[in-house]
Amino acid sequence: MTVQKRVSVACLIIGFFVPVDAARVRSEVATAQAQQAAAPLPLTMPNKADSLKFAILGDFGTGSREQYQLAAIMKRVHDQYPFNLVTLVGDNLYGSERPQDFKKKFEDPYKPLLDDGVKFYASLGNHDDPQEQRNYKLFNMDGKRYYSFKPDGNQSVRFFALESSYLQPEQVAWFEQELKASNSDWKIPYFHHPPYSSGERHGSDPQIRSALEPLFLKYNVSVVLTGHDHFYERTKPQKGIVYFVVGAGGQLRKGNIDTRTGLTAAGNDRDQSFMIAEINGDEMWFNAISRQGQVFDSGSFTRRK
Amino acid sequence: MAGRCRLIVMAMGVSLSLMSCACSRSSSPPVDQAKAAVPGTGTSTPPAQPVNEDAKALAAFLDRVNQYVLVHQKLENTLPKLSKESTPQQVDAHQRALSKLIQDARKDAKQAEIFTPESQVVIKKLIAKIFSGPDGAGLKASVMDENPGVPNLKVNDRYPDEIPVSTIPPQLLEGLPKLPEEMEYRFVGDDLILMDTHAHIIADFIPNTFTK
Repeated sequence: MTVQKRVSVACLIIGFFVPVDAARVRSEVATAQAQQAAAPLPLTMPNKADSLKFAILGDFGTGSREQYQLAAIMKRVHDQYPFNLVTLVGDNLYGSERPQDFKKKFEDPYKPLLDDGVKFYASLGNHDDPQEQRNYKLFNMDGKRYYSFKPDGNQSVRFFALESSYLQPEQVAWFEQELKASNSDWKIPYFHHPPYSSGERHGSDPQIRSALEPLFLKYNVSVVLTGHDHFYERTKPQKGIVYFVVGAGGQLRKGNIDTRTGLTAAGNDRDQSFMIAEINGDEMWFNAISRQGQVFDSGSFTRRK
Repeated sequence: MAGRCRLIVMAMGVSLSLMSCACSRSSSPPVDQAKAAVPGTGTSTPPAQPVNEDAKALAAFLDRVNQYVLVHQKLENTLPKLSKESTPQQVDAHQRALSKLIQDARKDAKQAEIFTPESQVVIKKLIAKIFSGPDGAGLKASVMDENPGVPNLKVNDRYPDEIPVSTIPPQLLEGLPKLPEEMEYRFVGDDLILMDTHAHIIADFIPNTFTK
């Protein structure tokens, strides 16, 4: 029941940060982005025709310039690597959730992706109003606070979107029933609070872990997608399961990864980021991509059986 | 009568974990049975089975919750129904219209009308018991994560848009009386609020929940 890990870490960015003049950095970033605009991004995905291709994004709905810049990178990635869906790991809108906020913090930055037919499937974080978001068509929650779905295509995958800030017993029972009933090879839960994280601000959530990890193990979950801590982290496999924290889609807490936890296989707490993934048969590939368009983590692993 | 019995049975389930605690602690505050009575349910008919005072207090709380939800549902049914295809404008308009209707219908509502005084004592005791367990410190830390509190909390107020909701750990939810779909528990600072999730308003709250 162990993951046969074949991870090749392209680049591990955790440590170094030299404070420089912010205006100069912005100028340099803009110049670099302009220079890179026409160049393809250095993705390392197989991009097979019959794969399930998807993206993961979390803690994004700020309406900030950084969110928009990352969204522009997502569009560039999509042009090279046509993912059909995005799983949202929560904190989809920060602050007020008036109609204009849905536009500014979601519809406008991701308009190019929405126009391309990409579907976003939300889970709820602690900054999200369940009533506003579960009924929002573009979040595809079908009026529910937690739900599962099987994406189109040939791959044997089912996603489970949970609401981890209010994990009542009936939700846990529902989740187990769904896992039990699913005959998909890949069962992928995603939610906001990370069972494992090296965040100094939040870190691992032992309550969520104790409620859900036994089910992950019992039903052969191989990968879990979360957010909440505002950085990217891929953990070393925990009891055979790889946990991702993808919580820097707009927010960012610089220097917040505590490397002393011993959990981190790769991380980035220096820039906004998101992740893409590809499933084909028993294999899952991933790239983590920064707002600068750098692929700072990549690899693949085989599902638990 | 049948509904009342159901409530008491539900409350008994929650209070089972407290019973040993209540029985072993002679200092547990006595609950006045008359005060725990709920309007419209009758107090002269004896319950179907013996229950402890904590269970009665929780049954009274759940009865008040259900009375609130009946009002909520009646008012919500006067509004256009939301669909899975709703726009943010429609969802927002629905939420604010519902909150206005409930606020008007409960304009004289005061703190402790749903969380009855007796149930407050029991719920605080339940929470204290959970927080005093081996995982108590972690549970409390989860609740207080990104939970700065709000000064001058009031019944019927809209839950502040700028403040994230507190996480309620599953271990805590297991120990509290189960609520209907329209309602949920959240903490604002150390005040336990009963939140109307459709209307996004505070239906009632228990102040200083962590204080005996």
